[in-house]
Amino acid sequence: MNGRLRHLGLVLAALGYAWALGWVFTRSAPVVASRPVTIRFAHWQIEQGPPDGMKAVIRRYEELNPRVKVEQVLVPGRIYNQWLRTNLVGGTGVDLVEYGVWLDGMTDIPARYFEPITDQMLRPNPYNRGTPLEHVPWVQTFTDGLQYQRVNAPSPGQFYCATMTEVSERLFCNQELLRAILGSDRTPQTFAELRALFPQVTAYAARTGRPIFALAGSRDNASWLLQFLLQGCMMQVSQRNDRYGSLALYNWDALGHYLEGRWSYRLPEARAGLTMMREVSVNMKQGFVQSLRDAATQEFLRGDAVFIFAGTWDGTSLRSQATFPVEVLRFPQPTPSDPVMGPYLYGRFADGGGGTAMEFYLNKLSAHPQEAVDFMHFMTSVEGSQLFTNHSGWLPATRTVQVPPAIRPYYTPLDCYSFGAEYMMIGASVNMAIMRNFHLLVGPQGSVDRFVDAMEAVMPAAARTDLYKEMTNRSLIVRPQDVRLMALAALGRRAPQNAALVLARERLECAQTQSEALMLKMARQLADAGPVK
Amino acid sequence: MLTTWARAAAPADGASPSDEVGAAWQLMADHLGRDAYVRLDRVRGVPTREQRLAQAVVVVDYQPVTPERLHAAEAIFADLARGEDEIAAQAAYLQARLYQVHYSQPDYGRAAELYRALAARQPDSHWAQLGLVKLGLLQLYVLPEPAGPAARLAAVAALLPRIKEEKLQRDVHLQLGQAGTFYGLPLDAVLAHLIEVNRIGGLVGQIEEDLAIQLGELSLRAGHYAAARTYFETYLRDFTPNLRSVTVRRRLAEMAAQEAKAQEGRP
Repeated sequence: MNGRLRHLGLVLAALGYAWALGWVFTRSAPVVASRPVTIRFAHWQIEQGPPDGMKAVIRRYEELNPRVKVEQVLVPGRIYNQWLRTNLVGGTGVDLVEYGVWLDGMTDIPARYFEPITDQMLRPNPYNRGTPLEHVPWVQTFTDGLQYQRVNAPSPGQFYCATMTEVSERLFCNQELLRAILGSDRTPQTFAELRALFPQVTAYAARTGRPIFALAGSRDNASWLLQFLLQGCMMQVSQRNDRYGSLALYNWDALGHYLEGRWSYRLPEARAGLTMMREVSVNMKQGFVQSLRDAATQEFLRGDAVFIFAGTWDGTSLRSQATFPVEVLRFPQPTPSDPVMGPYLYGRFADGGGGTAMEFYLNKLSAHPQEAVDFMHFMTSVEGSQLFTNHSGWLPATRTVQVPPAIRPYYTPLDCYSFGAEYMMIGASVNMAIMRNFHLLVGPQGSVDRFVDAMEAVMPAAARTDLYKEMTNRSLIVRPQDVRLMALAALGRRAPQNAALVLARERLECAQTQSEALMLKMARQLADAGPVK
Repeated sequence: MLTTWARAAAPADGASPSDEVGAAWQLMADHLGRDAYVRLDRVRGVPTREQRLAQAVVVVDYQPVTPERLHAAEAIFADLARGEDEIAAQAAYLQARLYQVHYSQPDYGRAAELYRALAARQPDSHWAQLGLVKLGLLQLYVLPEPAGPAARLAAVAALLPRIKEEKLQRDVHLQLGQAGTFYGLPLDAVLAHLIEVNRIGGLVGQIEEDLAIQLGELSLRAGHYAAARTYFETYLRDFTPNLRSVTVRRRLAEMAAQEAKAQEGRP
């Protein structure tokens, strides 16, 4: 008996040991890291979708690259700016950083902390081998050729980032509620039809006693709409001011043009856009300007709003959380007969298609720049982008990737116009002034006149501040370029047969000259404008 | 990347000062100025001209940049510029650069003077030629003389025969074209410069696409319809379609309609 018990004890001990071994090797973290290199990337796309998409990309990348571990760092948008700057300044920044030129007070970041990836962009992406993009330079594998990023590159002629998605702005519709109000599923196709729907929604709310509004409201959603309407109604102004003939205005153009007196919010075109914004905003919940996008999302998901105007970045969250069918529409646009915007209409204005986004930059101080760029290559390859698209519900930024039917309505066909400037986020100070005075346009006591008067009182100073910032940011780029140019020349002297060094120097000289010309032109505009009177 | 991504390492045993300076240049090319500074500091013996240049160059962007450091670098540049080799030209060029972009208060007049002096002393040097490009930028926008836009452009165009390198000529033509449109000068004069930029080619980045459209749009505005059509069609063929191509297609359609109308009016 004793012997059998001892035997059973030994068996149990052996089984326990085997289980412990199995656990250690399969579940627990290894005592010594099996992957010698760890790279980290950070972004603020913590909506439903992108984190899963990136997780799928990481899983596959790690299968292909057993040496490298990739960590995704999710940072809420509200603290992203502070988090990013603190880490970059402290030298603890992640290897790949999501950044957008419109982040408040962050315009100096690319110049200070990001490394150009121009040479890689001009060569094929190695992870596209065996695909139709095998021999295509990396930059041309993006659906927009990185148009928006090239426009905003801190140094003209240099590439700095790779993008993951294409975004657009859409009107998401609660079909059940619409049917209850109208008795039909017909969605508005023009702004006139949307305008006609507003009183019907108000009447339905009064009849049922429910707090129903035509559009879910928040400061964020309304500001996206204002931006959309302003760029639409100002297209003819943009064309008049396009003296370079490039059919697009840059932010610094819009700022310089303001100082030259070429546009203001008093223009009838601008007032038309503001009038339309006011018209839409009175069909949102009172006081919406105090709330952020989460509040509008909840309002829509509760069934208290027929529509929500949002970016497709909110699409996965809206559609997966709604308990009712959500239809995705393009915002109904005014026609030439529209009494407000008709006289100024150039054509259908862009509700997307302007470029790709969720852009990642290489930190200059990355400890593993080669691996970080390699991961960028993979995540934007046909395979990586397909994984991202399938798991995130976001559009791809890479050509030839198959788009699932559910998100095809997010695509903006090339049937609309954009001339770049949207007269809102053209600079941090201008944008802040707009948001500070937004309530004067959309609040209960608001009006176009009150908003315009308030804006025109502060714009001369705000435009000067932003243009000056555009100029000084470029000096952050230009100065270190002198050091690199001298180094490339010296290295070229030591290796005269190295044509790549000569090419790199020539490209850098060309880019630097363009930056300097821009800086000097801005200096001229600021000098001509003089101080604020 | 051209570079090895190497981090600063201790000098290899037995490495010559020349090798050490070469390694420092590589670090500077990799944006690792602080590491290059440390590396150069370790080199023993009487410094060569190249080593002195490297030591002054690295200081130009050594954070935090201070006026004292920049003045010390300028003294070295001024001394090295007295020679007649490439290092002298580089040093003279950098001395001008300090006044144009590095000192917190730029002195464009002094920078222009130094660029001119370098071009007079070593006219065939790359750095003198690049200096003429920079001088051109100052003349286009900020130097007090010549004052009028047309005179500014004429003064810069006069620099072109002295610039032998084609890529640098291209950069001057590009800036003449851009400044011409900025000042609202006659389109034909502006277009001539942009056409020359297009002929030389080699631009990278957004400017390449901007130029392709500018050629079409400015030709159209100048009434050169056939040329405008060719440029627009080339743009549509060579660049990834985007929202600007929608406008370009509309321009082409409008031109076709205008031509058809003109045809109808002919006897």
